[in-house]
Amino acid sequence: MKESATPIGEPTILIDASPPTLAAYCREVFEFREVAWMLIRRDLIVRFRQTYFGLAWLLFKPLMLMAVMSFAFGFLAGFQKVHSAPYPLLIFCGVIPWYFFSNSVPDGMNSLLGHIHIIQKTYFPRAIFPLAAVAIDAIEFLVAWILFALGCIWFAYLPGWQIVFLPLFFLQLLALCAALGLLLAVVNLQFRDVGNLVPFLLTVGFFISPVGYTTERIPTEWQLLYALNPLVGIVEGLRWCLLNGMGGFPLMPVILSLSMTIVIGVTAIRHFLITEPKLVDLA
Amino acid sequence: MTDTVIDIAGLGKRYALSHQNRPDSLKTWLRGKIRYTANGRDQSGDEEFWALRNVSLQVQRGECLALIGKNGSGKSTLLKILSRIIPPTEGRAMIRGRIASLLEVGTGFHPELTGRENVFLNAAMLGCAEKEVRRNFDAIVDFSGVERFLDTPVKHYSSGMYVRLAYAVAAHVNADILIVDEVLAVGDVEFRRKCLDHMRQFQLRHKTCVIVSHDIETIQRLATHVVWLDRGSIAETASTNRFALLDRYSGTAGNQGPHVGVV
Repeated sequence: MKESATPIGEPTILIDASPPTLAAYCREVFEFREVAWMLIRRDLIVRFRQTYFGLAWLLFKPLMLMAVMSFAFGFLAGFQKVHSAPYPLLIFCGVIPWYFFSNSVPDGMNSLLGHIHIIQKTYFPRAIFPLAAVAIDAIEFLVAWILFALGCIWFAYLPGWQIVFLPLFFLQLLALCAALGLLLAVVNLQFRDVGNLVPFLLTVGFFISPVGYTTERIPTEWQLLYALNPLVGIVEGLRWCLLNGMGGFPLMPVILSLSMTIVIGVTAIRHFLITEPKLVDLA
Repeated sequence: MTDTVIDIAGLGKRYALSHQNRPDSLKTWLRGKIRYTANGRDQSGDEEFWALRNVSLQVQRGECLALIGKNGSGKSTLLKILSRIIPPTEGRAMIRGRIASLLEVGTGFHPELTGRENVFLNAAMLGCAEKEVRRNFDAIVDFSGVERFLDTPVKHYSSGMYVRLAYAVAAHVNADILIVDEVLAVGDVEFRRKCLDHMRQFQLRHKTCVIVSHDIETIQRLATHVVWLDRGSIAETASTNRFALLDRYSGTAGNQGPHVGVV
């Protein structure tokens, strides 16, 4: 399905059995960006509509997460006092990306199935649903870092020059969540099993990601396997950015994590483009 | 001078009737795979069904094409392909201009959202900018007649209200081609008349319609072009002599093929 301009200025659509090209599809998604904005805006409003504290929840949630995790891992599990950085800040760098990941992946996954009644009736690029779902969680994720800044003031802690690389790790995490959201959204339409499997995998994922501890806790012989989890490189990278370089740049996890993100991303895009036109037949 | 806005060539849509071919759980999918490797050939999808086969037709600007045929003849499938809801298995269709389609009841409304929110979301999905909707908002509400329930979630709407609002949006998104699938059957007499008036106005502005209806009277009033589909293929087409075709069609009550009962 390609689009091209005609002399009259009307859009011409060609409908056939071939899947769209990436460029054409991206152009189409861009054309329909307004729908994405509406979905995002609507969802944010719905999330906070009938709450007493409203938008304050955006900061409450990460604060509570940080408090609970610091208590559980630092106090109960005794992982504290390894680094010069304040332990709650170290935890924060793990908890907040994890929270984003573990929310946005299922949200993306369920977005097509949840809007199937719309998909069956009106055409517009369906990638907008998973992308908007991930974007909503991404907004929460980004806002949560205000709390990190407040934490730095509280602990009188100043991140070093490494912080300039922060956006790169944010982008990688966003790309990873978007790719998994897109991929699982179409797989979930075809095999509903995935909807049951993913929450379980996420529970496991929590323990095999450096959320409440640092990678140094993992035995050396397991580190390579451990770092195949793309979140390892991202979380350790974030800690390197924000906590004055921690124990040096986590080169191996970052490279592995980038490679995994690229593999997942390419797989997701390819599978999505092939499947997108057939979604209604598959569901 | 011809000015083709819809050009369909050799369009076909195949469905598999076998369940293995459309697995809905990993287990059936894996089972299919295992059988495939064990027997060295694909046992799945032995039975196939062409909902649409070899359909070629053209619609000129300003025409109103009506599709007729009994249930399961492929009318809705064709509209769904033209609306890009499902892809064809073979062939192609070229469409010039912006399409607004109303397929069955409730064109893609979000049940949790209010009527007002749905107007904007739906219009955006039909490719209409928010500014444009804002400008036409009063006209949309007026047309739909659901003003009182505008801030009620549409899940509480009756099917009639649903269709009225959906049609009102589609009528005001400034589309070049309007595709309507039997939706008007739900509305009351007054609303149906309103829609018919609108579609005629639409044609006068040199826009194009494609409609599916079982109501011969609607077709007689609107269509300039009639295509009779039978078991997924075009049985007959007519433009100037469409009334004769429609008479014959209603004579067979659409229950038999086109060549049965015709002298």
